[in-house]
Amino acid sequence: MKALMSVGALVGVIGLLLLVGMILDVVPSNTVRLVEGYMPIQMLLEFTCFVAGFTGLSYMLGSMGMAVPRFWQGIGFWAFVLLYLKFRVYPPIPFSVRAMYGTVSLVAVFMWVSANEEDWKKFKQPIMNVLDAQSGKNKLLRYAYLVLLPILIGGFSFNAMKPKSEEPIELRTVHPAPPASTKVHGKSYTLQTSQNPYRVNLEGKFDQDYSNKLIVEQSMGRLMAPNANPWDEKSQGYLKYVREGGEIFFQNCHFCHGDNLNGRGLHAFAFNPIPANFTDPGTIAQLQETFIFWRVAKGGLGLPNEGFPWASVMPPWEQHLTVDEIWKVILFEYWHTGYYPRTWE
Amino acid sequence: MMKSLSRKAAVVAATAFGIILVSGITGVSLFAQDAIPEGFKKGDLAPEPPAEMIEAGKRVYFTKCVWCHGVDGAGDGPGADRLWPRPRNFNQGTFKIRHTASGELPLFDAKKPIPGQNDLFETVTNGLPGSAMPSWEGILTEEQRLQVLSFVTTQLVKDRKFTDKQSESQTILQLADLKPKSATDESKKRGSELIVEKKCIECHGVEGRGDGNAFNLKDDWGFSIQPADWHKCWNFRGSRQDAYNVRNIFRTFSTGVNGTPMPSFADSTSVDERWDIANFVNSLCERDPEGNPLPIDPLTDKPKINFVVQSNPVEGEIPADMENEAWQKAPKRYVAMGGQITHKPRNFVNRIDDIWVRSLYNDKSVVYLLEWDDRTKSVAEGKLPWAPTQVNLDIKEQDPKTGEEGSIAANQNKYTVYNDAIAIETPVKWQELPAPIKPRYLFGTNDQFPVDIVKWEADGSIRAFKGTGWDKDFEERDSYEENLKVLKSEWKNGRWYVMIQRPLGNKKDQDYDEDTLFEMGKYIPTVFFAWDGHNGDAGRKMAVSAFFYTYLQPSIPREVYIYPFVIAGGIVVLEAWVITRRANKKKGKAL
Repeated sequence: MKALMSVGALVGVIGLLLLVGMILDVVPSNTVRLVEGYMPIQMLLEFTCFVAGFTGLSYMLGSMGMAVPRFWQGIGFWAFVLLYLKFRVYPPIPFSVRAMYGTVSLVAVFMWVSANEEDWKKFKQPIMNVLDAQSGKNKLLRYAYLVLLPILIGGFSFNAMKPKSEEPIELRTVHPAPPASTKVHGKSYTLQTSQNPYRVNLEGKFDQDYSNKLIVEQSMGRLMAPNANPWDEKSQGYLKYVREGGEIFFQNCHFCHGDNLNGRGLHAFAFNPIPANFTDPGTIAQLQETFIFWRVAKGGLGLPNEGFPWASVMPPWEQHLTVDEIWKVILFEYWHTGYYPRTWE
Repeated sequence: MMKSLSRKAAVVAATAFGIILVSGITGVSLFAQDAIPEGFKKGDLAPEPPAEMIEAGKRVYFTKCVWCHGVDGAGDGPGADRLWPRPRNFNQGTFKIRHTASGELPLFDAKKPIPGQNDLFETVTNGLPGSAMPSWEGILTEEQRLQVLSFVTTQLVKDRKFTDKQSESQTILQLADLKPKSATDESKKRGSELIVEKKCIECHGVEGRGDGNAFNLKDDWGFSIQPADWHKCWNFRGSRQDAYNVRNIFRTFSTGVNGTPMPSFADSTSVDERWDIANFVNSLCERDPEGNPLPIDPLTDKPKINFVVQSNPVEGEIPADMENEAWQKAPKRYVAMGGQITHKPRNFVNRIDDIWVRSLYNDKSVVYLLEWDDRTKSVAEGKLPWAPTQVNLDIKEQDPKTGEEGSIAANQNKYTVYNDAIAIETPVKWQELPAPIKPRYLFGTNDQFPVDIVKWEADGSIRAFKGTGWDKDFEERDSYEENLKVLKSEWKNGRWYVMIQRPLGNKKDQDYDEDTLFEMGKYIPTVFFAWDGHNGDAGRKMAVSAFFYTYLQPSIPREVYIYPFVIAGGIVVLEAWVITRRANKKKGKAL
């Protein structure tokens, strides 16, 4: 038990030191890296580690006779949660969301310290002591609080009232509702019935099962399936069109959507919000190919008024690409991310 | 083969000649070729990567890399011609960022992914900022990154061999053992003298903005390249996601950049001098007003963006002098710029990637101070190909031809010179913009919701336009131009400083359907456009920013000084109440 707890304590101390170091900029903030795509799980894991660490720490301190009073444990933990949310989570979450999490964790801390009558008494004892001011130290503390509290709260309200220039929050709809059909280069396409003419097997027939077998593997790195190299000179049908789609992608799209289709292209840093990340399971993996066809052909300008708000400077690609080229690019995007387009069934 | 042999022969002959010459002049021993520059040590060549790693790397290469670097690794993939700098041609084994002496192969060991000991691995891991090469960390596993490098170094590097002891050597910069000299004023001052003495400024320019010799430099393949701008350290290829680290500059300065005119200074400077230079160059990189490094956004490797351009109030005239206290106090915003690649003519090779904006206002006008690095002052030499208003819908774009005659890369730095220019775009009826239309106003939405564009050009003109849609020509607003004023326009050592004044407008006598009304305390959507005349930028071939906000900061209202005291007083009353209550309760108990 003790050994286990001491390991926990060690984890807690190291974790705390790292976090404090990162906040004070002594330790580079990328010491423990956030892994793209696994961030939420990583955050949860880290948080669990911290909680285990704190348990160990408080046990060890207790057994060494330096137990931290319940009151300070509660306050300390709450402060930790707030600091963690502000300084560790990246990209930063807005204050309103942090305030929500902060309230929830405050409630949780209260539930913890008031789990039974005895605990609750222990928790509120320090407050009562200061209020009663029986000892000289407490008397001093009481006067300090009497003076400091109004000053602090007055200062906070001054800061809150001072005119500030914070970026207004603009929400966006991620997947606007598509129209029933779309007209591209003079031809009308019904979204429910159209198919990608290049998703074909070696006989030239539309064959989603065939193409699904040839997409990149959904493991770390997302590499092409063995023996399914679109750059193989002998490749025919689907794979050949994937290569042609890739050529178009890397002449037109990667500037924003990135070399790895993750929305981190050469010019992406200049845009707000940054361009769509196709490797995210929430984008093209959720959609039908015809939806993408409509979005690519019509761009941000073609979005319906009903679906607002949204923000997009995606051009209507029908300006620059032929219908065939658009279908090939879509083929490539699904191949490269290793996702299957959703079907209407 | 013959070519590389003859090249080696030439190198040997030249070295021999050089040795004789040097020893003749200085009288040092004939073994000068063995002299290792200060800070370097001889190292061993790494063993050949195992065959299975090479094979696995091929799979990575043909999934991720081939699109830019090409089937044979010649840097001629389908994406190559719309990129500048171009993707690396691996065939010659020429790599820029290394710990090895000038001309040598970079460090690469398929079994040792250790920072500082594996240059190619670090390049793939961190990417090359300022180029299209992204960071592959978090996308490819460490193993996969080593695999693909095994494939590249053995199969695609064709003229040299990483394991050939006859022709290759490794003289390694011992960067880990060298302690950076602290960046004292004295060290920086010495550095500032050394960059003159060592002729750094001949290419990098007097202020280090890369404007010294911007148009005649070529890389080993004959493509035009430009010297680095020391004020944008986050764009240094070798910044390794740690832009303000002086070691990166020290390394590049010590090893040179292979394949480019940037030589190694290892032989001509002592380690101490190199730290001085690195400290000085590092001190030039943009910093905040307190002199601290700008916070870098780990998602983009560029400075973090604040989208609100805060305009401070001024009593009386707005000063035209940048050194004035009001300007010094005005917050300076980093505005990231991307190429306008949405509508023709598209700007794939965008050379203005950021501008710095400050703003002040008084009761009548608002002034923007715009600063941006541009290696040359460009004033149109002839007639522009398109009127500045014109949208060029049916222009023929160059086919990507990977470096051949007529391609983008071959044309780079050979464009007809047009005007450098900058413009500020604001929507006219921003208060009424319906949410769905809001983000659409790049070049204006429609006739109902036009945009107001104010454009300054390097020929000294300032003009106003009305934009009503991406596919519509801008309309000149001659009558409005007399209201505009250029308070300052100066190009100095690779940087433009332009101050543009425009009326705030007012509800009484302003034509509200024509001009933007700048209201205090409101967020007014603002977009910036920039043109580099030497890049063939004209018409809609330009750099664009995202949607920023101009915010006219109100002076602090009186209530702000009153209410906090009222609140604090309330707290005192509350405290008194709590304490009395507690005391009474206790007394009650005692009784």
